Amino acid sequence: MAAKPTEGAPFALIETVRAVRRLSAVNEQASRLGLSVGQKATDAMALVPDLQTAEAEPAADADALQALADWCVRFSPAVAIDAPDGLFLDVTGVDHLWGGEAAMLADLKSRLAANDLPFRCAIADTPGAAWALAHYGEDGAIAPPGGQAPLLAPLRPAALRFDLETWAQIERLGLRQVGQLMAIARGPFARRFGQAAMTRLDQALGRETEALQFRRPPNPWFARLAFAEPISAPEDLARVAVDIAAKLCARLEAEGQGGRRFELCFHRLDGKAIPVQVGLALPGRDARRLGKLFAPKLETVDPGFGIEVATITAEGVEPIGARQGRLDTARDPTLEEGLAPLVDRLVNRLGEDRVWRAAPVESHVPELAVTRARPLAKAEKDPPRPWDRATPRPTRLFRRPEPLDGVMAVTPDDPPTLFRWRGQLHRVRRAEGPERIGEEWWKGPIEDVSCGHVRDYYRVEDAEGRRFWLFRAGLYSDPATPPQWWMHGVFG
Amino acid sequence: MSDFRAERLSAVRAKIAALETGARPQVGTLPFGDERIDACLPGGGLPLARWHEVCAEGLETEIAAAPAAFTALMATPLVRRGEAVWVLRRDDLWAPGLLGLGFPPERLIQVCAKDEAEALAVMEDALSTVGVAAVMGEIEAPDLTAGRRLQLACEKHGATGFVIRRRPYGGAAKREAPGSASATRWRVASAPSEPPAGEFGLGAPRFEVTLERCRGGRTGQWLMEATHAYESGAYSLETTDVAHPLRLVAELGDRQLAPAQSFRLAG
Repeated sequence: MAAKPTEGAPFALIETVRAVRRLSAVNEQASRLGLSVGQKATDAMALVPDLQTAEAEPAADADALQALADWCVRFSPAVAIDAPDGLFLDVTGVDHLWGGEAAMLADLKSRLAANDLPFRCAIADTPGAAWALAHYGEDGAIAPPGGQAPLLAPLRPAALRFDLETWAQIERLGLRQVGQLMAIARGPFARRFGQAAMTRLDQALGRETEALQFRRPPNPWFARLAFAEPISAPEDLARVAVDIAAKLCARLEAEGQGGRRFELCFHRLDGKAIPVQVGLALPGRDARRLGKLFAPKLETVDPGFGIEVATITAEGVEPIGARQGRLDTARDPTLEEGLAPLVDRLVNRLGEDRVWRAAPVESHVPELAVTRARPLAKAEKDPPRPWDRATPRPTRLFRRPEPLDGVMAVTPDDPPTLFRWRGQLHRVRRAEGPERIGEEWWKGPIEDVSCGHVRDYYRVEDAEGRRFWLFRAGLYSDPATPPQWWMHGVFG
Repeated sequence: MSDFRAERLSAVRAKIAALETGARPQVGTLPFGDERIDACLPGGGLPLARWHEVCAEGLETEIAAAPAAFTALMATPLVRRGEAVWVLRRDDLWAPGLLGLGFPPERLIQVCAKDEAEALAVMEDALSTVGVAAVMGEIEAPDLTAGRRLQLACEKHGATGFVIRRRPYGGAAKREAPGSASATRWRVASAPSEPPAGEFGLGAPRFEVTLERCRGGRTGQWLMEATHAYESGAYSLETTDVAHPLRLVAELGDRQLAPAQSFRLAG
């Protein structure tokens, strides 16, 4: 990092564009001395010999902007990045939390100023109008609903985000204000400046919608809790988790919805946000249960100098039936009372991949025939065929078959009569087989398919009565390399 | 007068029975359906709302295939009443195999625990949940405290626990705790099967089962067979009065186990 520039001295950032070093940003003093963005660095140095410079870091700038976008989530869950130096916040339906748009903007401004960030901001009906007002209008302008046209009229045409060509043409024609553009009839305007320019104008005036790429999808299931004094005690965090969950759950309940995943986010004084997530097996809206699930995860939250805002969002929201209090206690317990909370506790404590229910997959390869389904997941419409009960399968199946040695077997198709496994010799007393299982040749490339890729499975019982599932990989085709025997499972 | 006497006698008998079963009321039993076993068990069947130990010897202490199969067979009638949870230490329990034995895998939630403490905690949590009928846990050696905690969890909603004693691969064996809070302890080994005369291959799976310890009951040794294993035909979860999946084939000699020992340990 370059040293911090001296206060009040001309300063510029330099980037290398096609082997030419040019200014990429200048400060106020430098621009007053006649320097501008895009000027060659050597020319600038000749004009202003005491110009202080530093290398531009676009990647770091993008990272910083992204961090700022994350920070802005405290104001609205929908934040879009406007590269290289802007942010769009969709504050629809959020401003009442501050008591109006003006109060919200004031809060945003004071917080940004406290962090020493230079900025301009504006609120309008459309992203286009807000962009124009923030870049060319009065700082902190708030356009009343439907009233952005008079505010935009005195601005320069550049405020409408035209591409360079259109902008040059507009300038050449002597149009100096947006108001003049608005006065032109739509037909001639589109003919002269192109459809793209027309779209830009319409977007600014709200005649056409503009899709913003929000860093997170806007989530209507959002609640926020701000504290007069920053909190940091663990018991306060636990209480906040329940309080904020109750706030969101009340809304979910009022609309007959339930969430599957909840993300609680603690915003620290220093601008860092610490998210904590929990998931539910069935959509729910029980604040106390959520609080209990959050509780063990709050230990990992480092409050730093204190937490001033907490937000919570619900995802996977779907309608759920209303709950009725039970009249008879002898009735069978419902899923919501017993199993669902248990699955939630286990999944949130151990991790999602460690709690499952075995579900069939239509494959004859043993290790592929079982998949892990989410416990309590609803039955599929077209469930795969269940496993065949009549073909004996082992109770324990090894993930990797274990090699057998000292196998004595009568070729080509007889089960072994003697084998050694894990250092113990087993004499086979009874055997069943072979059950030939081939590869799933339709899945891999056709060149690799071979009729030698088969396993011949045998169910054998040794003299003590232990039952094993073993197989011979491949066929007896080449006497020099006999096929290998493997242990795949134990019946018990 | 004789009425009064009979009343007093039955009251004293009930008191003694309560002392023998650890002063806990019997919630219910699951009879095997054969007098030769049921007579050894308190209340004429496997006590429910208690926890049971199933262990094995030799290679099976690490693989625990025979104990797993035997436990699944014992728990199959319970699964008709509610959900089952299996707490694993290694992910090698195979659902098609359980289905073959008659245990419905769609009623089973499998949980893989990192270590012994976590496995015990999950077991305890599952046992004290409404709607869970049976919890199987692969545990190396539960100590007395863990055993008592499991017992308290069992009593909450009447779930039955099965601790399958299994040693994780590698590492030294854990020292066995003296005494145990379990209701019964079974030692299971695979036994040679007997296919019907004139048929090739293997017969129905057989197990040599030793009841090593039984609170308020007697010990014994039997040869059992899962007669209906690997039989085609759909099973139904709704029917309640079906025969126990384990059939007693023969009573084996009570070798060196003295019945008095179990009463001493039961305290």
